[in-house]
This record gives sequence, structure tokens and C-alpha cells, in this order.
Amino acid sequence: MKILIVDDESLNRFLLLHMLEEEGYTDCYEAKNGAEALEMASRLKPDLILLDVIMPRMNGYEVAPHLKQMYGDSYLPVIFITSLDDKESLARCLEVGGDDFVAKPFDKVILAAKIRAHGRIRQLSNKIEMQNRALRYFQQNVDREHTIVEHIFNNAIVNKSDITAFFDFDLSPAAVFNGDVFLCEASPAGGVYFMVGDFTGHGLASAIGVLPVSRSFRSMARRGLSAGEMAAKLNTTLLSLLPADMFCAAVIVEIDASGKRFSVWNGGMPQLLLKEAGTRRVRTLPPRHMALGILESEEFEDDCEVFEAAEGDQLLVYTDGLMEVMNAAGEMADEQGVIKWFSAQAKVTSQYLHDRAVNYRGDLQQADDMTIVLYTCQSLATVKNDFTLNELPYSISLSLSGPELKNQHIVPSLIEMINSQPGMTLLRSDLYTVLSEMFNNALEHGILKLDSALKSSPDGFLEYYQAREIRLKQLQEGSVSFLIQFLPKDAALDITISDSGEGFEYTAPANTGEDNSFGRGLTLLNELCEQVTYSGNGNTLKVRLSIDR
Amino acid sequence: MTIAAGLSDDGVTWVIELDDKFDFGKVQEFRDAYMSLPQTVETVEVDLGKTEYMDSSALGMLLNMQKTLADKSLKYKITHCRPQVGRILTISRFDKKFTIS
Repeated sequence: MKILIVDDESLNRFLLLHMLEEEGYTDCYEAKNGAEALEMASRLKPDLILLDVIMPRMNGYEVAPHLKQMYGDSYLPVIFITSLDDKESLARCLEVGGDDFVAKPFDKVILAAKIRAHGRIRQLSNKIEMQNRALRYFQQNVDREHTIVEHIFNNAIVNKSDITAFFDFDLSPAAVFNGDVFLCEASPAGGVYFMVGDFTGHGLASAIGVLPVSRSFRSMARRGLSAGEMAAKLNTTLLSLLPADMFCAAVIVEIDASGKRFSVWNGGMPQLLLKEAGTRRVRTLPPRHMALGILESEEFEDDCEVFEAAEGDQLLVYTDGLMEVMNAAGEMADEQGVIKWFSAQAKVTSQYLHDRAVNYRGDLQQADDMTIVLYTCQSLATVKNDFTLNELPYSISLSLSGPELKNQHIVPSLIEMINSQPGMTLLRSDLYTVLSEMFNNALEHGILKLDSALKSSPDGFLEYYQAREIRLKQLQEGSVSFLIQFLPKDAALDITISDSGEGFEYTAPANTGEDNSFGRGLTLLNELCEQVTYSGNGNTLKVRLSIDR
Repeated sequence: MTIAAGLSDDGVTWVIELDDKFDFGKVQEFRDAYMSLPQTVETVEVDLGKTEYMDSSALGMLLNMQKTLADKSLKYKITHCRPQVGRILTISRFDKKFTIS
């Protein structure tokens, strides 16, 4: 411990120095007056000061405040050594900033004890200061990291403004980072997807799961997956990613192009509310599933519920932060409270619901992230599909023969190949119908030589498909070839399917009665495709599907 | 089972619910779904809410159902169609024989 002795009399300084040496304090310094004391203190940074009161020019009372100021928040013990023994003088020692006093002539035992006691406090103060410094450094580091993470989050969770325009939403995180997430994206089939998720807890730890969910949601939306398929994929991702005690309650909704039809997957989120515009009657759509990231893939259920509403009806999706808001009496607003707020007006805003919750909470602090998403049924015809197509032409060609034709996944595999190309998901449903029609035609009539006339009676209808199964099982010969060509200039897909069969007389117009349970395939092809042409002896069929919508 | 069938809460509507694909692979199962209707049934509802894909054999199956049940005087509804599926039904003029929504 470094000790500075301040006294104008050399004898006093000598006595003190000697005593300190005896006590084992060897790192001691002497100042002859106030000015020298201040100079040495600032240069040597002593840990304790023994200060004489009566000195010429600047006395101890004047020196003490300067010393204290010099050390700021860190504790510098100043012990006055004084010959004054009146109460006022002693009290003044402490008033000017001194920490203790010892009467002259000093008692060695008392002074040594006091030095040790103040030395301990000084040590403690040093320790606190060191810890504070470490804490400040740590805080700065955390702040810097948060800034970086915030930047990443802001870039990762960007909803397109032309899609968010259909929603009225309010996100109120309880901390800097939101463990709730609201995502929306256009669907290739027209219409819009949106998802509201709530990770266990709040703050950064729960927000981190938002990143993979957000990326995955977007890519699935662009591929046109159903809400249930999305849920299943996200479940698998989160199951492998999150620790066992963390999961994500979520609602995934697909709104079709009419803007009034919802396909809903709800896992562990509060019930959705659907309000009729005219009557303000509220339907509740409770969760049917467990949250994402809990169940193994084989236990997971991806079935969705379908709801239909009318123009102007309002759909409310919210996280539990809204209904679990507590008032001063410790009562939750609960589902009933939310229904009451929601049905107060024919059309409420997210701000209105937010304000109801804040009002209800009063002076209490927000306990959990709160997200409110409102959708008012409206036509989604304006949703722009910015799905770009390939610039270069390509073709897929394959020829399947004999037993290869027994494969159950021929059409789905072809669809998968085509859909892997940019923009092709636009055709998803039509492509399935067209390819199935063409392939089944070639297989059933060309290769398996089945007669559609069989389908005219109810029993025959079944017989036809039973015969199909039997003949397919025994199939050894025959082939069907596919040629699928993408034509970027025409924004069209040409599909040609030929079979090795005998063909048929295609000049005769197909005559389809309304009641016939067969012969509708060609009508469908004619309606869905731009051109439908038979060639050869009727065993080659070519159609053109236009991609431009 | 990929097709679910049962009496709805009103006790007079028989609901047949299809999954994502309605094609010839469902012939037997679809037929089974309406072969043992309770006497009280007045309406048969085919719920296509989950159906994304269908082909002309599905259309055949729907008509076949009406033919098979022709001796009972039933009403027929097709509900919850996605736009693409609805389009196929409209193209095929199924609105003449089914109430489509």
C-alpha cells in the first residue's frame, strides 16, 4: 500500500514514517505542504493519505477536498493527524471530506489499526472499480453484438410492402428482440400466405429461431406449398435446431386469390377470430395441433382447416401476449376479453387492440411479446406475381417402356422436374391435370387397350379401373415417351406424349354427353391448353400450356 | 384412409372429404365412402377443401356416384373448392348437377 504523509514539520513526518515502517508499510512518501501534496498525489496515486491540519498557506481542510475530487468515485482514505482537540475542529475534518482523524501525539496502535481498516475499504473500492470497468467493457461488447444482430434481423425479416399492404398489424416486443414473428408472401397460385409465430420466452434467445423460419417460409411460399406442408417442413427444421425446452407456436394461413377463403394450420397459438362485417358475430377457430418443434415427423399432423368468409369480414390472429395481459388486480384479459375488444366495432384496427391491452395493463410492465395481425377480406387480384421465368429454352425428354410404366410416381416426378425451374410453380395445378390426362390416355387406351365405353355404367366404371390395375401388373411391352419443351419467347410449355399403341381415328369429333362418366379428358385439355393436336395415327398428342397470366 | 366420410352435425348431410389428390387411385375408396349411407341423409357433400389436383377420372367418379344413388332423392354439393379445382368443375359444367361453392 502506497501512503503519502503530508506535514510541514519534518519531525512529525519522521515519526510517522518510522511508525509505518515498523508496521510493514515501506512504500511511503512525504509532502512538506499542501501544494506539494496535491502534486505528488496526482503523480504517485497513493492509496492512503495522512494529513496534517495546520500548515502554512494551504491548510489540511483546504487540501482534503482537492484530493477527494482528484480520485472521483474511487475511495481515497484521508486520515487527519491533528493537535486540535475541540469538537468543532474534529467535526470539520470529516465535513471537508476526511474519513477519519487521530489526535497528536498519535497513538501507534490506534493509528495502525485505522490505516488497516481504511486500507481494506480502499482495496474493496479498487475491486469494485475493476469490476465496473469489466462490466462496462462487457456491456459495450453486448451493445456492439446487438447492433450487428439487429442489422441481420432487419435484413432477414423483410416483408414486401405490396403484400403487407393487405394486413393491419402491430408488433410489440417486450425486449429489443422479438420472439414473435409475422411473415407474409405472395403465393404462385395468386393469393397470399402469412404466418404468425411465437417462440418460447422472449428476447434474443427466442428471436434467434426466427431467422431459419423466415428464410424457409419464403422459399416454401415461392414454391407454392400448402399451409400444412409448410408446417411439416418448419417442424422438422425446428425440431433439429431448437433445444428440447424451446418450441414455436404458429399459425400458417393461405388466403386464396378471392381473398375470402382461408386454409389454416394452427399449432398452439390462441384461437383465431373471424368477424362477420354486418352482424359483428365472431367465429372462433381454436388450435388443432401442437406447436412446431415438438413432435417427431411421423407424429406430426399437417391437416389444415378451410374457412370461408365474405368481403369485409375481419380475421384476427394474435399471440398470447395480447390475451395474457394482466391488470393491477392480477386478472388476465383472456380469450373473452379479446373477443370483447375485437367485436366492439365492425372494423377494429391493430392500434385499437394494442391500446386496449395497454389500457388494461395500466402501469404494469409488458411481460411478453405481443403481436396483432388483422386481415380484412378483400380481393387479392392485385397481388403481383414477380415470378421470373428462365431466359433460355430447355427440354425434358424421357421414354418409359414395359415394366417402367408400372411406376406410380411418373406424373408427380415429371411435375417435380418441371417445378424445379423458375416460375413454373405458376402452373402447378393445371400441369398436374394436363399431364395426368395425357399420360392416362396414352397408358389406358394406347398401351393397356382399355375401352372407355366400359365406364358408362356404375359397375363398369369400377370394372374399368380394376382392369387397369390387372393389365398394368402384367404389362411387359409397349412404351410411352414424353417431350416437354419450355419456350421462353412464347412463355409456353409444349408437352408431347406418344405411345406405341395403335392410335385412333382422331378426325371424329369427340361427342361427350353431360351424363357420361367418361370422355371428359379431351374437353378439359381443350379448355386448359392453348393448342391440342393429335398427329401420327392418333398416338401422338401435343398441347401447349401458356404460362402468361 | 385418405378419404374421410361421415354424418355432419345436422344429421342429414353426408360429408365426404378428399385429400390433396383426387384421381383414379381413389376409385375404390371413393365408392366405399358413399355405399352405406344412413337413411336420414338428404344431402351428399363432397368437401374438396384440401384438394389441389384432380383429373377427369375424378369427374367420372362424381357422376358415377350420382348414378349409383339415383334411386334416392338426394341433393349434391361440392364445397370449399380451390380456384384451380373450381375452374375444372366449371369447365366441365358440373354446376348443372352439383351445387358448387
